[in-house]
Amino acid sequence: MLRRVRRVNDSVNATLVAAVRRFCHHEVDASANDRRAALPAELLSAARRLGLFGLAIPERWGGLGLSLGQTATLIAELARADRSLATTIGLHNGLGVRALIEHGSDALRQEWLPRLATGQHIAAFAATESGGGSDLTAIRTTARMRGDDVRLDGEKSYVTNAGLAGVFTVLARSPDEGARATALLLVPRSSRGLAIGAEETKMGLRASSTCSVHLDDVSLTSAHRLDGERDATERAHRALEWGRTLLAAGCLGTARAALDHAISHTRDRRQSGRSLIEYGAVRSHVATIAAAVTTIEALLETTAAAHARDESIAMRSAALKVLASELTYDACDRTIQVHGALGFLEDGGVALLARDCRVTRIFEGTNDVLLVRLGSALVAGRGLPIDASGSGSLVQRHAELSERLGALVTRVRRDLGVSAIQHQPLLLDLANADVALHAAAACLAQRRDARPRRTSLLEHAAEHALTRATHALDLVSDANASEVRDREIVSLLASAGSIEEVFA
Amino acid sequence: MTTQRDLRGRTIEILADILETTPAKVRPQDRLREDLGLDSLQSLEMLSMLSEEFRVDLPMEEAMELRTVDDACAFVARAFPTDAAAGATSE
Repeated sequence: MLRRVRRVNDSVNATLVAAVRRFCHHEVDASANDRRAALPAELLSAARRLGLFGLAIPERWGGLGLSLGQTATLIAELARADRSLATTIGLHNGLGVRALIEHGSDALRQEWLPRLATGQHIAAFAATESGGGSDLTAIRTTARMRGDDVRLDGEKSYVTNAGLAGVFTVLARSPDEGARATALLLVPRSSRGLAIGAEETKMGLRASSTCSVHLDDVSLTSAHRLDGERDATERAHRALEWGRTLLAAGCLGTARAALDHAISHTRDRRQSGRSLIEYGAVRSHVATIAAAVTTIEALLETTAAAHARDESIAMRSAALKVLASELTYDACDRTIQVHGALGFLEDGGVALLARDCRVTRIFEGTNDVLLVRLGSALVAGRGLPIDASGSGSLVQRHAELSERLGALVTRVRRDLGVSAIQHQPLLLDLANADVALHAAAACLAQRRDARPRRTSLLEHAAEHALTRATHALDLVSDANASEVRDREIVSLLASAGSIEEVFA
Repeated sequence: MTTQRDLRGRTIEILADILETTPAKVRPQDRLREDLGLDSLQSLEMLSMLSEEFRVDLPMEEAMELRTVDDACAFVARAFPTDAAAGATSE
């Protein structure tokens, strides 16, 4: 059983990490779980015994009461072994329980949190609906409030943990009040009228549970409400800060696993008398994967630190989620590449990393939508923190690129005003530059207390981030022409009866 | 001819459209975020639609500070030049 050891700083005690590593080594077989498309009951029991379901639940309710950063460290360890397991436990500790911890009544928390901390019940978060996608305000599930009675009707899709869950946090809208007031409710699985759909067949994360949840005149008391004064969407977004950060932690674990595979294979495999890693093209792939790991680590650390300072991490966690999922998927692809044909086979476990990781660019807000939002916020004067501390050529280059981004934003604001919101390709390019500079700043800041080896990695990662920022800024200049060209091409394709008509 | 009343009415119509409801359910004192569930991007989308429809430039910085339906209506009214209001027609 994991036990929290109090420390003055925010780092997770090495004992906890070691215990999770041992657990993964002895209990977890990701490939077998993937083939079975489920986590074995004995694995979930072992996870319960270790206390993994109580990581982020406060100690007064029987959990470990770990901070977001500490929880993220352990989720990354789990993901290094099995992304499906990390997703199940990460979702439970983040989106699954967060709204209950922060907004539930004392009675509701006392009733549920001790059982969630032991894993007797598993938690899920049901917000997404088919057709609604990443838009939490586009929900159709209704909550009719009549006195102390709440009636829920609707259908939720792609609900992670649904097949295992004992309780759901459900986002609904009220049909009666104003235009789109919302409600956040804790719904026990045993509620009459609640039904779980069949397990979805997925490309990856096959051992984690994903089902739809049907709500047919589900009756609850108003004590199950987790929202206050009609600000449920806001509270759902706050839970998403945890969700996106733990998702990024999962990406970190996957990226580390990809690096493990890439290094061991390219060091051991010989070609024409030399190890693969001695070839420049291969080295470039491996070094890029290492830059991905370092960047995600640095950004995760600064995001967790901001959260520990009680700052809002809405934008930071969105940027972290986007960057972690993009860099990790690229890292998996490069790992497959350096394995050659072997990487395409399921047996080695490398293909599984890529399949499991693909959805992270989509769920908890697609990266495209999050980037458009970050780009809009940037143009409106609310960009990410990108100040780089220290000195040296990298800091200088960072400053020049930041200035270039600032000038472009000023021009867009002046030329387009609020109409900028209609130019999504432009917003994407601006956001990509902002996110890359934010990441570079995080890497450069962490050089301060780093050992020499880590400093090299951080500077290497910062260089990669600055190159991405340069590329994104170059695209901004061409964004308008590119948008016009895209529109023409798509209109040409859409007006044709078939693809052959256009390509003939 | 577009009058201040037209501007206000159209602002609420577009807002109701985005919210998939009727203008009658959108009250002046409703808060865009807390009461109506609009996030900052949707607020900007609404304003950009108005900017396009009335062909006026709406500055981005102020747009982010809008809190209520009334704020949004007043913002559009302020940005809409008097002479343009005299000559413009609403669709």
